[in-house]
Amino acid sequence: MNGQNKRARRRTLAGPAALLDRVLALASPYNSSLLLLIVFLVVIAVGLFVIRDLHTTNVEAQKMYAGSVLGLRRIGELQYQAQETRRSTFYALTTNDSNLQLEYADQSREADRRVNEGISEYLLQARMPHEIELGKRLQRDWSEYLNVRNEVLASILEGITKEAVNLDLKGGVPAFERVRQDLEEIKRLYDEQASQQLANVAATSRRTIFRLIGVLGITLALASASVWAIQRSKMLGAIQLAKLQMEFVASVSHELRTPLAVISSAADNIADGLVGGKDQLKRYGSAIQNQCRQITELVNQILLFASTKDRKNRYTLRPLQVSRIIDAVLDNTAELVQEIGFVIERRIESGLPCVMGDLSALSQCLQNLIVNAVKYSGESRWIGIHAFVHDSEARSSKEIRITVQDRGMGIDRLEMPHIFEPFYRGAAVTAAQIHGTGLGLSLAKSIAEAMGGTLSVVSELAVGSIFTLHLPIVEKQKSEMASVTSKPDPSIRT
Amino acid sequence: MRRLAGLLFILASAAFSIAALSFGPAPNSRLLPEPQIASEQNLAVVVNLSNPVQNLSMPELRRIFLGERSHWPNGRRITLVMMESGQPERAVVLRDICQMNETDFNNHFLHGVFTGEVLVSPKTLATPVGVRKFVFNVPGAIGYLRVSDLDPSVKAVRIDERGPEDKGYRLHVPPRTSK
Repeated sequence: MNGQNKRARRRTLAGPAALLDRVLALASPYNSSLLLLIVFLVVIAVGLFVIRDLHTTNVEAQKMYAGSVLGLRRIGELQYQAQETRRSTFYALTTNDSNLQLEYADQSREADRRVNEGISEYLLQARMPHEIELGKRLQRDWSEYLNVRNEVLASILEGITKEAVNLDLKGGVPAFERVRQDLEEIKRLYDEQASQQLANVAATSRRTIFRLIGVLGITLALASASVWAIQRSKMLGAIQLAKLQMEFVASVSHELRTPLAVISSAADNIADGLVGGKDQLKRYGSAIQNQCRQITELVNQILLFASTKDRKNRYTLRPLQVSRIIDAVLDNTAELVQEIGFVIERRIESGLPCVMGDLSALSQCLQNLIVNAVKYSGESRWIGIHAFVHDSEARSSKEIRITVQDRGMGIDRLEMPHIFEPFYRGAAVTAAQIHGTGLGLSLAKSIAEAMGGTLSVVSELAVGSIFTLHLPIVEKQKSEMASVTSKPDPSIRT
Repeated sequence: MRRLAGLLFILASAAFSIAALSFGPAPNSRLLPEPQIASEQNLAVVVNLSNPVQNLSMPELRRIFLGERSHWPNGRRITLVMMESGQPERAVVLRDICQMNETDFNNHFLHGVFTGEVLVSPKTLATPVGVRKFVFNVPGAIGYLRVSDLDPSVKAVRIDERGPEDKGYRLHVPPRTSK
């Protein structure tokens, strides 16, 4: 059995395509949301990345504007005011009216005040050592020019024009030329900085474009992969369903054919007069009866499954004693268990509260679990049924748990998520040619959920499985009403 | 009778008019502006801040204002600043420093420039603000301003060891008349 199981597993793991299909099949219940979430996260990450780059470009551009454009404007203003200082001094030369000369002197002094302010502002903004040095040199040269300018103004106001002109030619022109050169040098410095920063902005912008193209490409690839994966997952699901349905039809046909063959054979023998004597006829009748019961049970199960899927089944829920449910199940399966020589260990805790449910449905649910345990127990021939109260994991109250345990072949970990799917049959089970429709566990789970409970499983290969039916406890008053109509159970009976 | 009543009315009117004139001005007369009475101000002689001179005697000052001295002790050329004719400040300078009237002063300079005795001809400015700015701009300038027109851009020199704020200062100018 284990060898077959391993071979089956090896078959399923062959090749990367099969591995991918298997991963997709595993993730199939979540794949759409999962992939959409991944794409969403990637898009957000891309957006943040692009925003960060745009912000950097914007900061660079602002720095360029503040550092260079404003700087150039400041230098332009400085150049204008320096020229204005000199121009106003010359205007004073053009008149003999002392009052007008004083006005020009005032204008010249106002302009030189602005130049001094501009130089101070430049020195405040300067960061690099050569900028500071240049600023100080400009300050010194401007101060020297102003000294000459003051002498020239004094001479003009005194009315000694010739001396004023001589002073300006001798001292004013070279001093102002030095100032002009200083300003030109500052301007050139700003030009260089602006060019450098422009190059930085261009580089950042180029980098942003490349990144944007890159991340958009990745997003597109991811989105395409997501769509492909979703489509493939859906296709795989459809193929799987079709395969399961085919297997189901084959299985049902096989299940029907065996009893039909027995019935047919018995009928032929009776018709051909081969059956003689009352006892032999009785035995044939009993065989036909058994096979008919099997067929009826199979058909009932298929109908029950169909009704649960169509949601047509209406259960009558009422408080039930756990022992009563288990007794009913054991009665129903007694014949089967005795035939193949199984031992059922039954343990029910004393004083268990009632559960709310439909007796027939719950019996069917547990019966399916016991039949499965019989099928997959192998040589151990032991089944344990245990009922007890336990803290609920889903609710903050207590619940009744009924476990059906076997010591059989167990279930592969990879198959665990699928065993409650309708028509699903494990690879090992198929390989072992164990008959079944793949509906038993699906039906049991549907019934458990219809009763407000759940069905869980713990299993280990070659060790066994424990299926647990979780049922909510009914309110105290209803429980008391139920206990009046039935007898107390013995705590443990083997 | 009618004549007697008329005579009485005339007498009463005359008596009322005399009484009104005797007891003070008519009520409307209180609305008329009273003539302003303000005290005289001192007139400061000002030089450029760079000028090292702190004190001048009245004779020195007279020589300077008559253009008979050409340079300051630091070698700077003296530039004399006068206000336009008709200004009370100019009148005070002509009267108290130059001890001349307007005509004599003008003749002195015309004659002095012609003969070469006068070394400096005065610059004439219209307002005290102009005088202040001129003195501020020209290191060798000397002018005069009311104390109320002084500011830190110029320096007031002492005359015979008395500053314009001191008691016994000799240059006073009548208050400006409000227009």
